Parts: sequence; structure tokens; C-alpha cells
Amino acid sequence: MATFRAWITRLWAALRPIRNDRDLEQELRLHLELAAEDARRRHPTESAPRAARIQAGGVAQAMEHQRDQRGLPWLEDLATDLRHTGRTLRRNPGFSAIAVLSLALGIGANSAIFSLVNGVVLRTLPVKEPDRLVHLARMTQAGRPGFVSYPIFELFRDNVRSVAAVFAQSSSVQPVVIDGEDDFVTVDAVSGAYFAVLGLEPAAGRLLTPADELLSASPAAVVTDGYWQRRFGRSPSAIGTSLTIRDRVFTIVGVTPPGYGSAESGRATDLMLPLLATLTDEQRQSVGFNMFSVLGRLVPGATVDQANAEVQALFSGFLQANVPPGPQERRAQLLRQRAGAVSGAGGFNPLRDNIAPALLLLMGIVGLILMLACVNLSGLLLARAEARQREVSIRLAIGAGRGRLARQFLTESLALASLGGVLGLAIAASLSPKLFELFVNGRELVLSVTPDWRVLAFTATVSLIACLVAGLAPALQSVRVNVNPAIKQTGAHRHRRLGKVLVAAQFAISMVLIVGATLFIGTLVGLYAVDRGIDTDGVLVMNVRSLRPYPAARAAAVQSDLLDRLRAMTGVRSASAARVLPVDGSLWDRSVQVEGYAFRPDESTSAGFNVIAPGYFAAIGTPVLSGREFGDRDAGTAPKVALVNERFARYFSGDRSALGRHVTSLGVTYEIVGVVRDAKYQNLRDAVLRTMYIPWTQLDEEDQPSSYTYLARVAAGDPLSLVPGVERLVREADPALRVRTATTYAAVIDRSIGIERILAMLGGFFGVLALLVAGLGMFGVLAFRIARRTNELGLRVALGASPGSMMRLVLRDVAGMLVPGVAIGAGLALMLTGLTRRILFGVTPSEPGVFVVAAAALAGAAVLASWLPARRASRVDPLVALRHE
Amino acid sequence: MESVLFIGMANRERAKADVLQGTLDLMLLQTLATLGPLHGYSIAARLEQVSAGALRINMGTLYPGLMRLEQRGLVRGEWDVTDSNRKARFYSITAAGRKRLATEKAEWDRMTSIMHTLLHDKG
Repeated sequence: MATFRAWITRLWAALRPIRNDRDLEQELRLHLELAAEDARRRHPTESAPRAARIQAGGVAQAMEHQRDQRGLPWLEDLATDLRHTGRTLRRNPGFSAIAVLSLALGIGANSAIFSLVNGVVLRTLPVKEPDRLVHLARMTQAGRPGFVSYPIFELFRDNVRSVAAVFAQSSSVQPVVIDGEDDFVTVDAVSGAYFAVLGLEPAAGRLLTPADELLSASPAAVVTDGYWQRRFGRSPSAIGTSLTIRDRVFTIVGVTPPGYGSAESGRATDLMLPLLATLTDEQRQSVGFNMFSVLGRLVPGATVDQANAEVQALFSGFLQANVPPGPQERRAQLLRQRAGAVSGAGGFNPLRDNIAPALLLLMGIVGLILMLACVNLSGLLLARAEARQREVSIRLAIGAGRGRLARQFLTESLALASLGGVLGLAIAASLSPKLFELFVNGRELVLSVTPDWRVLAFTATVSLIACLVAGLAPALQSVRVNVNPAIKQTGAHRHRRLGKVLVAAQFAISMVLIVGATLFIGTLVGLYAVDRGIDTDGVLVMNVRSLRPYPAARAAAVQSDLLDRLRAMTGVRSASAARVLPVDGSLWDRSVQVEGYAFRPDESTSAGFNVIAPGYFAAIGTPVLSGREFGDRDAGTAPKVALVNERFARYFSGDRSALGRHVTSLGVTYEIVGVVRDAKYQNLRDAVLRTMYIPWTQLDEEDQPSSYTYLARVAAGDPLSLVPGVERLVREADPALRVRTATTYAAVIDRSIGIERILAMLGGFFGVLALLVAGLGMFGVLAFRIARRTNELGLRVALGASPGSMMRLVLRDVAGMLVPGVAIGAGLALMLTGLTRRILFGVTPSEPGVFVVAAAALAGAAVLASWLPARRASRVDPLVALRHE
Repeated sequence: MESVLFIGMANRERAKADVLQGTLDLMLLQTLATLGPLHGYSIAARLEQVSAGALRINMGTLYPGLMRLEQRGLVRGEWDVTDSNRKARFYSITAAGRKRLATEKAEWDRMTSIMHTLLHDKG
């Protein structure tokens, strides 16, 4: 207690001393007087008083000790250092500005990327105790959680003991009609326990309960605060309003709290509907319809690992008991499936798997940039410290401790880093939304990337590290100055060497960045150069959906009619439709049997499956290699026909023609009437699958997709100019039809390689930036050194050195910094770029060409940087130089 | 020649000084408890006297030590006038100080008795 009281007293005294210096001094002087008097009394000699005074101690020193005891010395020292720093920075505004700005940019870039990482990976759901949530799922081959089917959800719900309550969710975009106005809304169909598991309270009305799952005439619906705001202006009359989704009527009963969007990261849900009210019987009963995400809340005391073990065992048991006997390979494939449980604190997060690797790469890149900026700043501080050597020597001579002096230099770096950090935070706050937009790339994603406490903590830590990296070397170097002037040369020599080392370090870091940039740009170039098998110029891609469901016959008629109208539109050269367009999505995967081909037991029987309209390949630009396209004669009642791609034909027919052969899928046999060129469907990277195509008129009505994607090739001009006309046209074909999205094909391709584009763009930007910074660093060091060596250079010229040899002197210096830097950088790059293997395409991380290009770029920068200093060195006038001090 | 204990504080001897600080605190508290309010020089003089010249405390130790005790509420300092009509700061022990003194004294006695037994143990 006493110590605490002492501490508080000292803290208070540091800010507002009660006993001031005069007070303390008075006490001490009295002590001396009394000591002297006593001494004179006892030994009445001349020297006694003096001896007594010496024994008592010096007033100044005693005052020092008093002051140290009175306040908090370290606090007062810090205050002094900060005041001194403020003066120093104000006296050199240019230097301070450059230092703070370069730090701010480095720290800002790091914080911006970290904000994204925070938003995508680290943030938790804004619900009650999110760390008690757990995500139960079937695991994909990559080990990430995937979807389950309804029976599996029920299995988990009823049998996993470490989880108290569990809900299933299925998300989609649906057309909705409210008060006659139609719109497309994001819908989460959720099972009864949803709001209980999440622990949410309604902002208005009530939320869904398990009772709402019982089928009723007008099932309940809940709107989110965002949709309430957007569609109803937060009017209380929203509650009780009816809404219609594809001929089913729901009644709005409540609103979720503000700040809550969805259990899926990045989604901005508008509506929550009771799950059972939206499912067909098949979707509810089939084990193979994997379209649900499951989240649960752990029982108090249970852990995620416990839940994981339980789910694994449960699912394995289920598979053993229920996988039907059948083809060996298929059965083994089914039994290989795994299920598990992972933490659900962040909700369902498909974003993470897509974006996280690229984000981490970017963090590495901006981390290197910050290090570059710090090393550069360190060089600047070092140069300035060299100029302040005299000041340092004097202070050391008077008696300042080296530790104290180093502390003051570090305080300067701390001040710079703090200013840089604050400015960097502001930069990050404005940059991260733009960065996020880049990643999102037109998809409908909503994520909060505003800085929260994690971002602040990160920025503070990064600033501190920047301070240390930038300030440590100059601080230590300065106080190693030997006070003896005769040995001053050694100190300067050490300074120079450190300066060169710093520039070499900058070149090493730049090398890594430039190698990275070259690899990413090479990847992008490689991706764009891939043979897609289609012609993507001048094509408009549209997704058309209807507000009301149609009976199958009507659907077919509407689709054909729409296609005819599209073709008849002015400006349209050709048009068609398909379930899946190349690069735009995933083909269905079906098991096939081919006439005349016997599958081995371990061979895969699957093929990609697509449903297309007549004239598809002409519209999309894939050549038909043999046979014909689908036409009007391939109606629903006509003989079943199919088209296959090259890969399919070659796999099953070899060199013989595939025409006339029969393919069977799901019990229906088709005759192959044409072979088309391979085209990339899944994405630009993966190999082309064996694919078969059937006409949309010949697909069973229960298999028909909910919508087709239409494409129209324009004769000339911008495909987007068609959009208003198309929207009109669609409604004319049927009043319930709406265009949901319309983009150019080029945009679709770009979106599919969005990550690679960002990496190439940012990588290239940072590579060039690194080149600039390293070049400037070298220029600064060279110019500084030339200026300091003017004397020596003048002497050399006077003794007969040619301008050429002077330039060679400078270039030797340059080589001394460039070569080790590039070599070390190349080594580092080789180690680090191995991490990017999965993102690269068309280039390997250790391609020599890339390293040669990077080294050449750095050499070029070095030569450019040394141009002016070398010229100055060669033009030194000995008369002027020798008089230079 | 008997050694004289100069109690002064040096920057490098912080650890040693902490041990000595505790001892110094004890000396100051005891002096004030026995003799009542004294000013700094009197305390130093008294300690020198009691120890027959062995203890000589310099200003740089004495006054920070008194300030430390004051900060912890164990002594109280007030300006007053000496017999020779000079302005001086007089320190007096507080109730908390007395309690502390008693505890520290008991602890010190216990320690010395243990050490004595240990160092002079004849087996």
C-alpha cells in the first residue's frame, strides 16, 4: 500500500511538483551550514569546514538525487527527449516530411491489407458469444467445410451431443413481389432454431421460431434491418405486409437487429424464410442434395474438437450403413467422404478460402515494402547522424550516458514512427474499401473493412517495429563515436560501411519484390493467352429469371420465344443460351456409359454435362469439328441427340469418328451427332473435362435449371448498349421475366481471374515503387559520399586522375552495393517465391529468365541513380575541391 | 583503523543500494521514533554519534531517503524554526511509520538471530 501511494505521489509530482527546487535547495544549504559550523567547533582549523562540506556531498549532486526521488525520472527524461525531438523535426521540415510520409505509406499499406484480412478472416459474427458457435459440414477434398443434405442435417441435429442446438441454412437470390413491385432479393432459408442458436433479439416484431416451420397457409418471414431500411424506410407498417416469391405468399413478422447481415460472411441478406416452407419433397428427403450449411451452438463446457470427433464418427457410421452396393469405384468414392466440425465464430466463410491466400501474399508484399521504407529511412537518419557527430561527441564528453543518448535518438524515431502510424491509419481507412472493391470485382459482397481494435493494435505494433528497424542502427552507431578526435576516422569509416550495407539491403528487398511482380505479371499474361476455345469479344451475357414458376411446356415456349426475339434484335449478330457458359460456372457432373467402351473398375465414369439452345456454338465461337449443331428439328419429341467435345470423342473413340455412337446418362440414351472443339468451362487454369451437351428441349422437366444464361453477339460496338433494349424485350416475351444480371463476356473472364489481376496490378505497382525507393536510396548515399570526399577526389584529380577513372571509382562503389544486394535478394526470392507456387500459371518460381529480368531492372536503376554523382565526381575541379572543408 | 561506513548512492550500485535503502529507512524511523521531530542534519548527526563515528550519511542519500519515507506516508515533514532561529524542515514519524518500524524491527531481529545461529553453528 505504501509503495502504491509513493508511486502516485511521484507521478503527481512529475506533473506538478509540490516541493520545488528552491525548497529542496534551502534544506540542503542549511545542512551544509550546520555541518561546517559543527566541524569548526570541533576542530577549529582552516580545512575542517571544507572537509565537512566535502563529506556531506555536493549540493548539485544531492539536488539531482532529490529530484530523481521526487518525480519519475524516466517520465521526465521522455518529456525532455520529446521536446528535443519536436525542435529537431521542426528545424528540418523537408527531412521530417519525407520520413513521415514514407513511413505513413508503408504502414498505411500494411494496415489496409490487414483490414481486409481482419474483415475476411478474423472478424466474428455480431451475435451472442460467437466463439461458442461451431460449423458442422461435409469436408471437401481440400479439407474445407462444404454443404450437407437435409437428412444429414437431421442426423447431426438429433445425435451430436456436444452441440445444444443447430440450424440449417440455404441461400439463394429470389424474385420477390411486394405491393406489386418486384425485385430480386437475397434470401436465407433457415430452419427453426436459427435465431435461438445465434441469440438475436428482434428490432421490431418477432423472429422465426421452430413453430414457423410447420407448413401453414401464409408462413412467416423476417426482414433484415438493411432491407427494412431500403425497401420500407424503416416504417413499422412493414410488419404484416405480404410478399410473394414465385407464387408462394409469406407474411413479414419482424426485423433483425441492425448490424446483423447474415450468418455467411460477405452476404447482405434481405429476407429470412422458414426452410421447410421453401423445400420440395425431394430436396428434403434426398441424401444427395447437398445445399445446406449447418451451424450450431456448443453445450457449455464442450469444445470444437469434441464436436468434430462426434460428427466424424456419426457420418462414417451413416455412410457404412447407407451407401448402396453398386459400382466399386463409385461406392469407394462415396465411402471416402468425411465430415467434421470447425469453429463457427466467423459464420460460414467461403470468402476465406477464395481470398485468404492472395491476401496473405499481399501482406507479405506490403510487409517487404514497409521494411524497405524503414531501411531507407534508416539510411537517411544515419546520414543525418553523421552530420551531428560533433554534437554527440560534446555531449558524451560532458558526461551524458551512452544509453541516455541512444534513448534520445530512438525517441526521435519513435516520434517519426508515431506520426507515420497515425497518418498510415488514415490512409488505410480510405484505401481498404477501394482495395476490397478490387477483390470483390462486381460480385455482390458486403463486408465491413473499417478499422477496429485489431487493426489499431496491428498498426501500433507495426509502427513500433518500424521505429526500431529504422532507428536502432543510427542510434547505436552514433553513440559509438569515440570522443578522441584522433580516432574520428574509424567512426566515419564505420558509418560509411553501414550506409552501404543499408543500400545493399534495400536492393535485396527490391529484388524480391521485382521477382514477385514479374512472376505475377507473367501469370496474368499466361492466363490471358490460354486458348479458351471461344470468342469472347463483343458478347453480352445475361441471366434471365422469371417472377413466377412455369409449367415445363410453357417454360420451353417462353425460352424459344425469347431467343427468337433476341436474334431479331437490331445489332445482334447471333444469340443463344446455355445452362453454363465457359469460365462462368461449374458444369453438372454426370456418370455416363458410352457404346463400345468398357470402363475399367478404377476408371472414373463422370463427364461434364451442359444443356444448350440451338445455335449455341456459333454464337459462342466454338468451332464444330465434325457433324452438326443442334437445330429446330431437335425438339422434345424428336430422337435424343447429343454433342460432345474433342476430349470426350478422343477418350471414348480414339481416332475413329464418334458420330453415330450412343451415350447414356441417367437412363436416357442419346446419339452423338457432332463433335466440337474443347473449351474451358470451370476456369482458365484447369484442364478441359470430357463434356457432353444436350438440347434444352430434350431435358426432363424436373431437371430443368431455374434459369438459363443468354448470350448475344453484337455486330459492332459495345455489347452493353444492348441492355436497355434487352430489358424491354424480355418483358415483351413474358411480363414475369426479368434480366437479373447483364455483363460483357470480357468482364466475366476478368472476374474469373480477379485475384491474379489484383496480384499482378499491385505486385507490379509495388515492384516499380521498390525500384524507385532503392534507386533513390542509392542516389542519396552516393551524393552524400561524393560531397564528403570532395577533398580526396580533388587530390586525385590534381595528381593526374582522368575523368574516366573518377567515374570508375563511383561505379565501383555502386557495384559494391548492387551486386551483394541482388545476390542476397535472389537467394531470398528463391526461398520465398516457392510459397506462391499455387497461384502461378505458366511460370515457375525458379525460372532463370525472371531473375535475369529483375536483376537487369535493378542494375538499370543503379546506373541511373549513379549518373549524376558519377558526373559530379568526374568534373571535380581540384582547385575548388582542395579548398573545400 | 576502523572502517567508516560512507553511505552514498552511486548509479551503478543500484542493487546494493536497495538493500541499504531498507536499512537506512529503519535507521531514520528509529531515530525519529526515539527523539521526536528532527531536521535532516540533526538526524545525520545523531546517527553518527550513536554509531561512534562509523555511520556517516551524505546529503545525497539522507534527503532522498527522507523524501521517500514522506511519499510513503511513514514520516511527515513541516517547515519550522530551529533554536538558532533558522528555517528548517522538521520530520516526525506518523502512526503508519510507527507500525512499520515495529514490523521491520521484529523482522530484523529475527533475521539477525537466524544468521547468528547459522554462522556460529558449532555442529
